[in-house]
Amino acid sequence: MDVLAGLAQGFSVALEPMNLLWCFVGVFMGTVVGILPGLGPSATVALLLPLTSQMNPTAGLIMLCGIYYGAKYGGSTTSILLNVPGESSSVVTCIDGFEMARKGRAGPALGISAIASFISGTFGVVLLMLIAPPVADFALRFGPPEYFALMALGLSMVVLLAGKSMTKALLSMFVGLWLATIGIDLFTDEARYTFGRIELMDGINFIVVAIGAFAIGEVLANLGVQSSGQNFTVPKGLRNLLPTWQDIKDCRFAFLNGSLVGFFVGVLPGAGSSIASFVSYGVEKAFSRHPERFGTGVIEGVAAPEAANNSDAGGALVPLLTLGIPGGGTTAILLAALILWGLKPGPLLIQDNPQMFWGLVASMYIGNVILLILNLPLVPLFAQILRVPGYVLYPVILGVSIIGVYSVDQTLLDVWLMAGFGLLGYLMRRLDYPSAPLILGLVLGDLMENAVRQSLMMSNGDVSILYSRPLAAAMLLFTAAILVGPLFRQVNTWRLKASEQEV
Amino acid sequence: MKSLDKSELIAALLLIALGAFVAMKAWDWPYLTKDGPGPGFFPLWIGGLLVGLSVLLIVLQHSAARKSGKAPPATSWKGARPVLVGWVALMVAVALLKPAGFAVAYALLAAFLVRVVFRQSWFAALMVSVVSAAAFWLVFAKLLRVQIPAGPWGF
Repeated sequence: MDVLAGLAQGFSVALEPMNLLWCFVGVFMGTVVGILPGLGPSATVALLLPLTSQMNPTAGLIMLCGIYYGAKYGGSTTSILLNVPGESSSVVTCIDGFEMARKGRAGPALGISAIASFISGTFGVVLLMLIAPPVADFALRFGPPEYFALMALGLSMVVLLAGKSMTKALLSMFVGLWLATIGIDLFTDEARYTFGRIELMDGINFIVVAIGAFAIGEVLANLGVQSSGQNFTVPKGLRNLLPTWQDIKDCRFAFLNGSLVGFFVGVLPGAGSSIASFVSYGVEKAFSRHPERFGTGVIEGVAAPEAANNSDAGGALVPLLTLGIPGGGTTAILLAALILWGLKPGPLLIQDNPQMFWGLVASMYIGNVILLILNLPLVPLFAQILRVPGYVLYPVILGVSIIGVYSVDQTLLDVWLMAGFGLLGYLMRRLDYPSAPLILGLVLGDLMENAVRQSLMMSNGDVSILYSRPLAAAMLLFTAAILVGPLFRQVNTWRLKASEQEV
Repeated sequence: MKSLDKSELIAALLLIALGAFVAMKAWDWPYLTKDGPGPGFFPLWIGGLLVGLSVLLIVLQHSAARKSGKAPPATSWKGARPVLVGWVALMVAVALLKPAGFAVAYALLAAFLVRVVFRQSWFAALMVSVVSAAAFWLVFAKLLRVQIPAGPWGF
C-alpha cells in the first residue's frame, strides 16, 4: 500500500509540466549522446551538472537520470549499424547486431534493441521501487571474495564467446587480461608495462581496444574486399524494417534474462553494465535451443545484452539512493549532484525526500515510454545509413572512431593504440581468433586482480577465503558448471559416435 | 609433410614471445608481499598461461593435421594489400593530427581512401573528404564541444 501511495505521489510530481519537459530533454539528449561515440553519459551528466544547480533537486535528478538511461537506448545504434561500440556494454551487441545488419536485418535489430530497452528499463524501475532497500543490504554483503567469484563467472563466459577454437578464445582473453595489468599497480605504486609513458600510467581504456579491434578491424577487412558500392542490403517497406511478432516471441526469455541479470549486476557497486551484458549473452546462449547460431546474427543475441544494459540503470540507482554508494562513473556524478543540491545521500535519503524518490521512479516510467515512442519511428531512418556506399561509410567510421577515442582522455597515444589494435583486430579475424574475449579480459581483468589481492590480504594469504563463503562458493560452482559444460557435451558426442560405430 | 599453416605458426610464436616478455617483466616485481600477492603475481601467471596455451595450440594443430593425413588449409591473405595501404594511410593521418589538426588530417585520409583504395573519381574524393570533415568539425567541435585536435589554423 505504501508503494502504491508513493507511486501516486510520484506521478503527481513527474506529470508536472516542467518535470515532464526536463524528463523529455534528458532522455532526448541521452539518446543523442548514446548514438555518438566519444560522448558518454558520465561526460554529459558532468557537463550539464552546473546548469542544474539552480533547478529544484527533483527536476534536476529527473533530467540527469533521463540522460543516463536514455544513453543506454542510443548506445546500441552504432554497434548494430557500424560495429562501433560506444560503450563497454555495447561491445556484446556488436557480435550479433552487426551480423544482423550484414544480413539486411538492421531494422529488426534496432527495433528489438529499443523494445528490449523499454521492457527491461521498466522492469528495472519496478524492481527499484519494490526491492530497493533489501537488495541494497544484500549488495553490501559482497566483499572481495564474492567479487572475485563474480569476475570468475564473467570470465567463464569466454566458453560461450569462443568460436571454432577454445584455445584461441582463451589466448585472446589472456591478452586482454594482460592489457588490464598495464598501468600503476594501486597496491604498491609499481608501474607495470608502461614503457616509461605517462599516458599509460592510468592503463589502457577499453574503448580504445574495443573501437580498434571491432570498428577499425571491420573497416580494414572491408578495404580488403574493395567494395565501393553498397555493402548491406536494406529491405524496403516499414514492415520489413521493424521486428516481426515472431522476433518478439523469440526474445521472450532474452527480455527476462537480460532484465534480471542487468538489475542484479547493476546493484553491485563497481560491477558495471559490461559484465551484465556479457553474462546475459552467455546465459542466453547457454539456454538457447540453437547455441551454434549465436554470433551469426540471431535476434536474441541483441535482445539479451540490450535488456541487461538498460535494466542495469535501475539497479545502479539502488545503492546510490538507498546507501549513497555510487556503482560507476555516472552514478558517482549523480552522487555529486545530490550533494550539490544540498541533499544528504545515505540510508535516510528516501525517507527524508519521498517526493524526490517517487518523482524519479514515476519519471523513469514516463521516460521509458517517451524513449520507445522516440526510438521506434527512428529505426527505419537509422537503417538507411547502411544504404550509404562503402567509399563514404568507411572513411566516416574512421573519423567517428578517431574522435571517439581521442575525446576519452585527449591523448594522441590512444589514437595510435586504436590504429594498432585495428590491425590486430583484422589479423585476429583472418586467423580466426575471436575479439570479444579480448575485451572481456580487459574489462574484468583489473577488477578480478584487485578482488583476489584484497581477499588474500583479508585472510593473510589463506586461499580458502575465495571459496569458503556461501555466496562466493555458489557463484564459483556455477562458474565451474559453465566451464565443464562444453567438456561434457564433447564427451557425450564422442560417446554417441562410439556407440553408433559399435552398432 | 607440412603439418602447420605458416600464418598460424607465426601467430602462435608471436604469442609465445609476448607471454615470455610478460612473464620476464613480471619476474622483476615481487610475487608475494607480506600483505598477500604482489604486483608480479597476476602478470606472471598470465605470461605463463600465454606461453602454455600457445604451445598447446601448436601441438593441437599439429596433431589434427597428422590425424587427418593432410596439411591444413593455408590462411588466405587475398586482399591484404589494400588493407595494408589503408592502415598505413590511417597511421599517417594519426601522425598528422598534431601538426595539421583533425579536419585536415582526416580530409587527407578520406580523400586518399576514396581515390586510391576505392578507386572513385577525384570529384567523389574531394566531396567525401571536405563535406565529412566539415560536418565532423561542426557537430563535434562546435555543437557538442568535444575536444578534438586543432591545427595552427584553428580547426
